[in-house]
Formats: sequence, C-alpha cells, structure tokens
Amino acid sequence: MIMPDMDSLAHPQERRFNPYTENGGTILAIAGADFSVIAGDTRQSEGYSIQTRYAPKVFRLTDRAVLAVNGFAADGNMFVKKVKQRLEWYHHAHAKDMPLRAIARLIQTMLYARRFFPYYVYNILGGIEEDGTGAVYSFDPVGSYEREACRAAGAAQSLVQPFLDNQIYFKNQEAAQGTSHPSHLPLETVLSIVIDSFTSATERHIEVGDGLEIFIALSKGRTLQGMESIRGLQELTVTEDGERLFVMRRDLKKD
Amino acid sequence: MSIMEYNGGSVIAMVGKDCVAIASDLRLGSQALGISSNFQRIFPVTDRVYVGLPGLATDVTTLRERFRYRVNMYTIKEEREIEPETFAHLVSSTLYQHRFGPYFIEPVMAGLSKTPSGGFKPFIAATDLIGCLNFAKDFVVAGTASAKLFGVAEGLWEPDLEAEDLFETISQTLLNAVDRDAYSGWGAIVHVITKDKIITRTLKGRMD
Repeated sequence: MIMPDMDSLAHPQERRFNPYTENGGTILAIAGADFSVIAGDTRQSEGYSIQTRYAPKVFRLTDRAVLAVNGFAADGNMFVKKVKQRLEWYHHAHAKDMPLRAIARLIQTMLYARRFFPYYVYNILGGIEEDGTGAVYSFDPVGSYEREACRAAGAAQSLVQPFLDNQIYFKNQEAAQGTSHPSHLPLETVLSIVIDSFTSATERHIEVGDGLEIFIALSKGRTLQGMESIRGLQELTVTEDGERLFVMRRDLKKD
Repeated sequence: MSIMEYNGGSVIAMVGKDCVAIASDLRLGSQALGISSNFQRIFPVTDRVYVGLPGLATDVTTLRERFRYRVNMYTIKEEREIEPETFAHLVSSTLYQHRFGPYFIEPVMAGLSKTPSGGFKPFIAATDLIGCLNFAKDFVVAGTASAKLFGVAEGLWEPDLEAEDLFETISQTLLNAVDRDAYSGWGAIVHVITKDKIITRTLKGRMD
C-alpha cells in the first residue's frame, strides 16, 4: 500500500496553468515613398526546440495591407484570424477594402479590448496609405501604436533595430557638404538591408533562421522598375488596377 | 538587479587589415542615474596591446591594477614585452583564480602580435567574467549593449578593412548600438592600433 505523503497534505499547494509561451522569431518592416516592405523569418521555436522551420508570421490582409505578428504564435494566429474576419465584414458592409490607417486603429481597439488578458504579440502593420505613400505602423501588445518609417520586433529586435537606425535613418552619419540624407530609400536598397538584417540576426540569434518571407506592397501605378525577374518573387494581387502585392522567399541558415 | 549591469558600459574590438581597433563608451552610472561621462575603461597594456574592462566599475579599477602588476612582473622576469596572446591567457587565469567569487568584468583585448618574420598580426580576444577565452577572427563585444553591438557589427563589419575604414566601422557600430542602450553612451572613445602608430579619437555622440 502506498503511504499518503502526509507532509504534502499538511499545507496548501498552489498549481497554476501558464497560458503564454514565447515562440521566438523576428519581424521587420520598412516604408518607402511609394512602397512598403514587411518581412519575417519562418522559424518557430519553444525554448531550445524548433517546432517547425516554416510557420509564417507575415500575412496578407488586403492588396494594400500586410500584418506581421511576433511573440506567442497561438495568440498571433488567432489575432490575425480575427482581424481578417473584421476586414471581411467591412468589405461586405462598404464594398471596398478598409484603408490602412483604419486597419491600424482597428488593431489598436482589438488589442486594447484584451487589456487585462492580452494577446501576447507585437504587431507590425505595413502597406500603402490612401494618399499612395508607403506606411509602417507598429504596436505593443495592448494596442499602443505609432506610424514610423521602419521597425523591427521580436527575438532579434535588439540586434536589428540599431542597424536600421544607422542604415535607414542615417543616425550618427553626417551628410556630405551641401547634401542631405534621403527620407525614403529606393526599393532595391531596402530589400538588401532587409536581407542583410535577417542574415545578421540568423548568425547571432538562435531563435532566428530557416526561412525569410518578404512582402512588398506597391502603390497604385508603381511598377517593380526592372525587379520583376528577382529570384523567388510571386505576385499576390487580387484586384486589378490598384495597389499590387508581392512576396519574395529566401532561405536562411538552418543551424 | 544584475551586478554586471549596475554601472553600465560596453566595449567592442575589431580586426582590420594589419590593424585592430578597440572602442568603448564613456558612461559611468549607478543603475539609471548617470554619474560620469568621462569614465575610461580601456587601458594600454603595452605599446601594442589594449584591454577594455566593461562591468562593475569598482572591479575595473581593481583589475586594472592587478593586470598592471602582473604585466610588470612578466616584463621584469622575461625581460621583454608581453605578447597579446600571452596577455589574454594572463587575463583568463587571473579571472579563473576567482572562479567561485568572480570579478564582475568581461575583458576585451586588442593588439598586434609579433610574427617570426618580424611582421605584425592582428589579435583580438574576449573572455567572460570567469576567464573563458574567445579568440574571434572578426570582432568581439561585451557590456550592457552587447546584443546591439552584435547586431550592428554583424551587419557592418567586413574583412581586411584599412585603418581609417576600420575606425569608421567600429565607431558607427558602437555609436548606433549604445544609442539603443540606456546603460551605455554619454560619449565614446576609439583606439586604432597599427604597426607604426596608435590613433586615439574621442567621438561626439548623443548625450542622452
């Protein structure tokens, strides 16, 4: 007969379920004058284990809006599902896609609605504004948000963000006499900065790697300007003569 | 509260073509409170070797004196200057002697070592607070901004940079990394060691 453990019965014990985990990975978005680039790696991990090498974190919402979610993957997927649902309802009610700034505000209210049991995710929304400019909106888990020119979030945020400060905002760089730094960079430059950021993060962070998905949102009337033949490019545009959306896939190191 | 982050500060070293560079911020803090914007934590060991000591400020002073003593003893006994590789092992063994009650410092070393043919070879190294050596071929970082330094350095550094290009690379790396770290910043200093001279420059950076 097993003797009951009198010691453990003597005083109360607490057991607790932890509803959150952290699934690693990194996301990044950069706005151009008439385009927006939103990227994320595809590794999903828990602790030191890799759960999958392909779990998308970047999602097409409309032809001019892309949402990247990073943090707790289950919450992230649920959140994207709910945002897409709200956008579908909007489409049924108004017979048009929701504008980007409205999606940004919608995301804020959806996040803040869960103020006391938050979606454990950092969101970055990228796309094209109604005036045709490229835009990036970044959010904290409870909905505080801001429009910016660039933002990195997730496991390697601390590795990537200072690099972006330097390469996008030209921080700590003096413009040559009689010149000034550009406020927006060309698409080709932005893409190479994005790829460099992720290869660097992959090199030094264990939770980043496997694959890279880069979404490119182009303003109405803008073409890829000779970048059509770029390796691994795929068009995702649904509606004609509007904004265009592309995705570009790259491999990252798997170790 | 981590003792390693009590005073703040970061150091980085990089290898170039026939040259090395070592750089640090100048902040001394007491947690979030800034105390000094002229706290030197990089010291010359010989004409060709520099050491940076990020970590607990009181141990910066203690270790500096300890290394000075041990390097002087070495110089007297051997009747020659210490080589950077040897100094790295001296640092390592000094720290490991305190394995179970360590100095809260993660030293970074940079120097030029003599080759048998009479030339000079770039050398950098770093250790953790108990002396585990890391001989990197590209760059080493330590301090409160280490994650940021890793990210920027990985993006900016390339092999075989000439002295002036190496200076620019290490300066940009340090400045942009410490600007994203609350515990580092408040000015910076860079040393570039070449075979015939050492270039030391104090950088103008954000003071917030």
